Amino acid sequence: MQGLLKLSKLVDTINEWVGRWVYWLVLIVVLISSGNAIMRKLFSMSSNAWLELQWYLFSAVFLLCAGVTLLRNGHVRIDVFAGRFSARTQAWIDIFGTVFFLLPMSILIMSLSWPYFTRTFVSHEISGSAGGLVLWPARLLMPIGFALLSLQGLSELVKRIAFLTGHGPDPIKRHDHDAEAELAEEIRLRAEGNA
Amino acid sequence: MIALLTQNIAPIMFAALIVFLLMGYPVAFALAANGIFFGLVGIELGLLEPSLFQALPDRLWGVMSNDTLLAVPFFTFMGLILERSGMAEDLLDTIGQLFGPMRGGLAFAVVFVGALLAATTGVVAASVISMGLISLPIMLRYGYDRRFAAGTIAASGTLAQIIPPSLVLIIMADQLGKSVGDMYAGAIIPGLVLTGLYTLYVLGIAVFKPKWAPALPEEARKLKEPDGSSGTASFVVIMVLATLAAILFDRLYYVPAYPEAALDERLVVAAAAGAAFALAVAIANRSFKLRLLSRMAEQVVFVLVPPLGLIFLVLGTIFLGWATPTEGGAMGATGALLMAIARRRLSLKLTQQAMETTARLSTFVVFILIGARVFSLTFYGVNGHVWVEHLLTSLPGGQLGFLIVVNIVIFVLAFFLDFFELSFIVIPLLGPVADKLGIDLIWFGVLLAVNMQTSFMHPPFGFALFYLRSVAPANDYMDKVTGLRMAPVTTTQIYWGAIPFVMIQVVMVGLLIAFPQMSLIYKSGAPVIDIDKVKIEIPDNMPVSQPDELMRELGAPPKGKVPLDGKDAEPPPAPKSAEDQAADELQKQFGGK
Repeated sequence: MQGLLKLSKLVDTINEWVGRWVYWLVLIVVLISSGNAIMRKLFSMSSNAWLELQWYLFSAVFLLCAGVTLLRNGHVRIDVFAGRFSARTQAWIDIFGTVFFLLPMSILIMSLSWPYFTRTFVSHEISGSAGGLVLWPARLLMPIGFALLSLQGLSELVKRIAFLTGHGPDPIKRHDHDAEAELAEEIRLRAEGNA
Repeated sequence: MIALLTQNIAPIMFAALIVFLLMGYPVAFALAANGIFFGLVGIELGLLEPSLFQALPDRLWGVMSNDTLLAVPFFTFMGLILERSGMAEDLLDTIGQLFGPMRGGLAFAVVFVGALLAATTGVVAASVISMGLISLPIMLRYGYDRRFAAGTIAASGTLAQIIPPSLVLIIMADQLGKSVGDMYAGAIIPGLVLTGLYTLYVLGIAVFKPKWAPALPEEARKLKEPDGSSGTASFVVIMVLATLAAILFDRLYYVPAYPEAALDERLVVAAAAGAAFALAVAIANRSFKLRLLSRMAEQVVFVLVPPLGLIFLVLGTIFLGWATPTEGGAMGATGALLMAIARRRLSLKLTQQAMETTARLSTFVVFILIGARVFSLTFYGVNGHVWVEHLLTSLPGGQLGFLIVVNIVIFVLAFFLDFFELSFIVIPLLGPVADKLGIDLIWFGVLLAVNMQTSFMHPPFGFALFYLRSVAPANDYMDKVTGLRMAPVTTTQIYWGAIPFVMIQVVMVGLLIAFPQMSLIYKSGAPVIDIDKVKIEIPDNMPVSQPDELMRELGAPPKGKVPLDGKDAEPPPAPKSAEDQAADELQKQFGGK
């Protein structure tokens, strides 16, 4: 169990590291997109490559962040009933869901998208539009993203089992770091400063 | 047994989906797993081709290359930056002072600022958190009814859903296969009417339950003249003058200079001119101590400038045809960033928080869509859409019966599902049926958007209530100004406060069904937002032998250029390449030849 927990920790670290770098792309895409609109207006310049780059980069954001979002329990759930279950029952649900929902889907898409990528990698195919970008880097994001997601799924599985067997803490309660809560605290302080 | 399964696989699949979802495992994966599981069953039963799943990478690719989805990170990021910029706080402070001396004034201010923020950004959280932190304590301090105060704040925050720009409307347009610009145009009047209904409710409370909504006492009115008068008259004067300036600019300069300008373009330009005039007066007043304006008037003008500037960036650029709605989101986000930097409110840490939250939020949203696409691959494969269509078209009452049933279903589902789940799973099933029944899809989309707004304020799972709960005082606290001990706001009070607004929402759905003209105005050519002319990202190698086909695909029916004075529309454009054509349109619009 300890060995598995170490592996799980390693996966968590990898996905956290990926997430920390990838989120900068959000800012970059925002700037590229407003840049596109401004360039078109002011200099009548428009390029398909820059337009495509927007969604290439956004695809990178959501595919590469799939793992870290799972780690932070950020994939939304319907907890009308589940919210009332005990922590142990919820852990059992997560184990069931990971084994029968997440992993089959994620491994299936990963394995199907690999040839989808290699085909364009070998042929150096370029997107349909004039001046478009080469396809394979965007296609490569698919298997990588789903690999990161599968790994994180395995890591979550280990953590749930550790919790149920008494080897680890309740994995769902761990996330105390919440940006919105921090922000609310700041606005509150500022408001009190004014009053 | 097998035969039963074969014949009813679609309903069984749908029922299983509900069970899968209610288990509480993340929605995205439950959806996808449902699709894969029933895909395997279908292949086993010979209902589906064994190669079914080979289509999965293409489906994923379709989601990746859908650039409308970029609106999700853009608007989320903009909302988060705005929340951190302090703009909402300044607005609430000042507008609260403006309306405060009236009975119900603070509540009016909340509705007004809620609508203004809604026109600036497309996400809910931003407004509710700020209003809960700034306005709620003041309302409580001066004796507002707790339920009324909480309900007004939560509901006003959800206006962001229906007043353009709105993420809901963008996603709705995408899922229904309509243009975002039309969806915006169709939502403007319903959004304003809804704001009007909220205002009426506040007015009703102020008149019939004066104790629930007292005016600000004398000592709380901070923005006063040295002689103690309120200075409101001066505010009214500057507003009238600004409006006059806008009209004069339009009539005397803009129309003679650009006779071809469409009404929407003129509105944007005139509004910008009026705002610039008011700002110029306010700046002159402050710098030279002219005493032309009261402190109140000056302050109000100053706080209104940033939101109006952002509205120009996000909506104005779309109306003028400079940016697509998606790019409008990016422009708004850039504007919000610059504003926050200028106000020295933005640290590296706050920016990183905003980026991280945006990445996480967009990831879960897009993954729900991916899950829904995997689900629909199988569901459509086993003719699930035919089953749904049959179910819905066999309803009595034709169009009206369909609309009523669909709205009840969405209203109920909104208790459990949030807006993204509803629009990715349910809307694609409903859209084609509505179309077949001859229902205008823009009207339909706006109707459902108003309905889904309740998903944010339904007790107990409404997000707006949840946000408000997280910032409203949960324990006894000491009021900073009066020094009195104040009771907390209980969760029950928040729930009860939301209920009248949920009912207003239902009334609005009814009004919109009764008066579809509110949305259908998008067709009339009045304020036409012809965003299609800026869509230049059409591949050059697209076959242009069939210009009609191409035009239809571009979503550019002749309505876009129908002059207002009723003259004939321009002849359909010659079959040029799409890019040339879009460039021409742009040029025409700005009169530069």
